[in-house]
Amino acid sequence: MTAGPTFEALALPLFEPLYNYARWLTRDVDEAEDLVQETYLKAFRGFGSFTAGTNFRAWMYRILRNTFLTSRSGLRAVPPLSIDDDPVQYEGITETSTPETIFFSRANAEALRLAIEALPLPFREVILLSDIENMSYKEIAETLSIPVGTVTSRLMRARAKVREALRGSR
Amino acid sequence: MRQDMTAEEVEQYADGELSADALTRVEAHLQDCSRCANAVLSVLQMKRAIRLAIPRYTPRRPLALPGRSSRTSWWLAAAAALVVLALGGTLFEISRGTSARELVDLHTTILASVNPVDVVSTDRHTVKPWFEGRVPFAVNVPDLSATPFHLVGGRVIFWHGRPGAYLLVNKAAHRISLFIFESAPQFGDTPQMTIDEWRSNGLTYVAVGDVPHQDLESLRRAF
Repeated sequence: MTAGPTFEALALPLFEPLYNYARWLTRDVDEAEDLVQETYLKAFRGFGSFTAGTNFRAWMYRILRNTFLTSRSGLRAVPPLSIDDDPVQYEGITETSTPETIFFSRANAEALRLAIEALPLPFREVILLSDIENMSYKEIAETLSIPVGTVTSRLMRARAKVREALRGSR
Repeated sequence: MRQDMTAEEVEQYADGELSADALTRVEAHLQDCSRCANAVLSVLQMKRAIRLAIPRYTPRRPLALPGRSSRTSWWLAAAAALVVLALGGTLFEISRGTSARELVDLHTTILASVNPVDVVSTDRHTVKPWFEGRVPFAVNVPDLSATPFHLVGGRVIFWHGRPGAYLLVNKAAHRISLFIFESAPQFGDTPQMTIDEWRSNGLTYVAVGDVPHQDLESLRRAF
């Protein structure tokens, strides 16, 4: 790490996005704060092992996520079975030709938030990383240590689940 | 061409993840297939709705790593290098610790921004008039040329519903926030911060930072 950017320069701008992600993972203010602090500490210690030129953001998110998953509440949050093999129903291209504008009206913002909060962790996090953090599939794949194809199918299933939940709440 | 898009393609298209080849094919298809167009629209609407409906949580306080070993001191030096508060007038009716923490948070938030200042200038004669009409008081920007401090620029901030002037000042690699308000809360030391208060020309100055007291005294002399 001679001429490359310092850890501080790379990591500082990620503080708020990482905290936001931590809040969504933990659903708890104190836990989120602890998680972010631990992440920075681990990342700083491990900065020597970070490969310059690779995606630093994904690297930081991965540390945060792995830290969370090995925590007590993280262990509780992980579903017992591989969700990617689970035959979750999604609609694909169906005969419903009505646009679903109605589900996403302003009045439904609360229902939408609740629906996302209620999603199992693997679905909740792909939606957050894609739609809130604007990560590319490749970046999400790096963050979650899964293939890009799995990112696509998880996102698809996650959105189908949200749609389903909104229909139920109508 | 009449072949419907796959569910994956709908998702990938909405997320801007289709390859160039696939994109050309899909866009041609979407021209005359309302079913697929609706499916794409539905995903786009959901993405947009999620962005609007999902709150973005912000941290209550800056990152403070436990301990002060050399390994962690980088952060302590950077996180809130120094928050300086130049204040005068009456007191806010809020608790001391809370006010200091809030300003430290504000300091960190501003520094994390891509554009921390709205007027970018090292020239106090540019920065001072910029605030005229933007804040309800005259902002006195001292000549810092003979000091180790270096003016970066300024912006208007709102804190507890009051407009204030914000100056960003560098001291070597450290970044210092100078908040200037018409009225002031009362500050006391918070566990991680050193706080120094003084009065000059009818204004109360309060400096907050994770630095030794002598640094704050040196800054005091510059003002």
